[in-house]
Amino acid sequence: MTDSVRTRPFSQLGLRARITATFMFGALLVAVLLSLASVTLSRSNLLDQRERVGVARAAVNAAAIGDKIVVPDVDAQTLFGSLSVSGKPSALVPDASAPDGFKAISLDPRFAATAVPTALRRGVLADREPKMMRYESNGEPLLAVGVPILDGTGVYFEVNQLSDISRSINSLALTLIGASAAAAVLGGSLGYWGSRRLLRPLADVSSVAEAVAQGRLDARLAYSEWAEDPDLAQLVSSFNEMVAALQGRIDRDARFASDVSHELRSPLTTFSASLEVLRNAREEMPERAQIALDLLSSDMERFTQLVEDLLEISRFDAGAVRLDPGEVLIVETLRMAVRALASEPVPVDAEADLEDLVIVCDKRRLIRVLANFIDNARKYGGGATRVAVERLTPERSEDDDETEDDDPSEVIRIAVEDSGSGVPEADREQIFDRFNRGSLGGSRGTATGVGLGLSLAAEHARLQGGRVWVEPRPDHEPGARFVIELPLVEPADDDVDGLDAAVATMTSDELTKHDTETRART
Amino acid sequence: MGTRILTVEDDERIRTSVRLALEDEGWEVDEATNGEDAIARFVRSPADVVLIDIMLPGIDGFDVCRAIRRQSDVPIIMVTARADTHDVVAGLEAGADDYLTKPFVPKELSARIRALLRRSRAADSPVTRMRFSDLEIVPQEGVVTRDGRVIHLTKTEFRLLVELASNAGRVFSREALLERVWGHDYFGDGRLVDVHIRRLRTKVEADPASPRYVVTVRGLGYKLQP
Repeated sequence: MTDSVRTRPFSQLGLRARITATFMFGALLVAVLLSLASVTLSRSNLLDQRERVGVARAAVNAAAIGDKIVVPDVDAQTLFGSLSVSGKPSALVPDASAPDGFKAISLDPRFAATAVPTALRRGVLADREPKMMRYESNGEPLLAVGVPILDGTGVYFEVNQLSDISRSINSLALTLIGASAAAAVLGGSLGYWGSRRLLRPLADVSSVAEAVAQGRLDARLAYSEWAEDPDLAQLVSSFNEMVAALQGRIDRDARFASDVSHELRSPLTTFSASLEVLRNAREEMPERAQIALDLLSSDMERFTQLVEDLLEISRFDAGAVRLDPGEVLIVETLRMAVRALASEPVPVDAEADLEDLVIVCDKRRLIRVLANFIDNARKYGGGATRVAVERLTPERSEDDDETEDDDPSEVIRIAVEDSGSGVPEADREQIFDRFNRGSLGGSRGTATGVGLGLSLAAEHARLQGGRVWVEPRPDHEPGARFVIELPLVEPADDDVDGLDAAVATMTSDELTKHDTETRART
Repeated sequence: MGTRILTVEDDERIRTSVRLALEDEGWEVDEATNGEDAIARFVRSPADVVLIDIMLPGIDGFDVCRAIRRQSDVPIIMVTARADTHDVVAGLEAGADDYLTKPFVPKELSARIRALLRRSRAADSPVTRMRFSDLEIVPQEGVVTRDGRVIHLTKTEFRLLVELASNAGRVFSREALLERVWGHDYFGDGRLVDVHIRRLRTKVEADPASPRYVVTVRGLGYKLQP
């Protein structure tokens, strides 16, 4: 159970994260593809348009300057000043005096005709038709249009700057990158939200299952909006049916245990009382009857204990166990208990500051464990020699999943030591198994018949979030040391009156009460 | 006249064997087989101690307990087949002074009865009169007054109050009170103390919700605030 509780959040998160990531990358991919397409398209559209305009304008301008150009030494201002140009105008006219046979006329030396790529010039001169070419100069994208003039002996150029187009394309691209990112986030959120909705039924199912596992058998899946979904309604009803069946079964088991308990306790009461009467008359009996009476007496005690243990176990098995926590002045209680339980005086060792320590625990269960340890020591260890009470914060070196709390909280340890032969290492775990007679033949654990006590001790401890074990004595003397460790719970501040706790327990007990007989009569 | 004990138990065998065991202790035993019978018998001749089984045909042990408590302070011991909180607290709320779980050892039963008898006849306090502002306790007469008005307490409540009052200001753990007032051993049940303290408060305190005299010392127990 612990495992499932621990791992479920991770796998749930994993699935949700996966769905979220899928949505996010999907949205990003679509957005990026669309952006790329639109950038490319816009770019080529803008360039096409610019080229068309450039070519048309250059052709008109070339025709316009055709007449003026024949005048030798015409200056650029005169030549180009009146033109309505789309780019920077310049021209190459034949000039026999120039080294390459041309004279370049331009307004702006940066866009002189000589700066135009030679390939364009050659192309226009060779084919005698307008041509254009895109190129870069000093990192600036340019479009040069060349139109033949003077019957193809000269060229009129217009160099258009394309940086405005790349600027708009860049800003478009930037916008689209932003939009893609937004789309990815949106997709992710959609995925997260969608997966939450998708997984909510699972979360509900798991929380109800957990409640049931913790003993709240009346927990059911509510018919919420998702549960009315035709796809999920089946899950809800079969889950609820399953829990109901489980509850019914546990109730039956618990009722059976309760009935058996009543049926066994009544004759035992008669036995016990009658035996007492017989014992009172023991002296008047013949010797043979006295022996029989003694046998009866001693086995009566054992039998009663066995019945108590079996009833306790059946309650554990029926899941009908309820803790009954209360405030316990621990050291004083242990002293009184040890005094009453042990045949010889046994010291109870505790640090002075533990004397006033009050812990919240189920006193009856604690005393049962202690009684069992002391009884065990008497039977197999020559009697308890010492009871030690310690308060400590256990180090979490070993991975122990016995204790459910994983915060490094304090614990209280109560150890019963004896001076017997100890428990062999190989048997230290299995002596806590139910009815364990095992290989131990004749030694500890076989009890005077039944090995229920230690397994019950383990259950009593476990139920309170604690544990029991046996270890060698820390002073290396021969003997065993049986330990019960309980989480140290100090009374809550608002719990002003112990009675409130008792009454609260009673109410919750009533809710989960299985003994319908008593309830009917109450 | 000897001590009379009324036992209410529907199981004939238990009833008879318990009667025999109690008679061996030198007590006189009156038997009732059901609740109505028990109440009728008690009205006819009140007993010194009443032993009530909770599971009875007809009206149950809790009702019998309440009915008897309405007319008498007689010490009442509840017998339950189970030690769970519900039965125990309900029994104590119904007015029982103590409880036992089946199967009980008759020696334990007679010890409890003796403790209750000792208490119900308790006039052994050396102090004659105790005063705590408007609260006055006269142990030997078994009388408690607040503002001069007599407060009616059961014997157990009275004994509990006297126990706390004779060491006013001292904190008593539940365990100590169980031992001193009920004569219980280590296995005593703190709920016994809690329920009786609460009942005591409803009678002694002007405002039981915020007690002036019988106060809880958180985690440790109770004390009487002088």
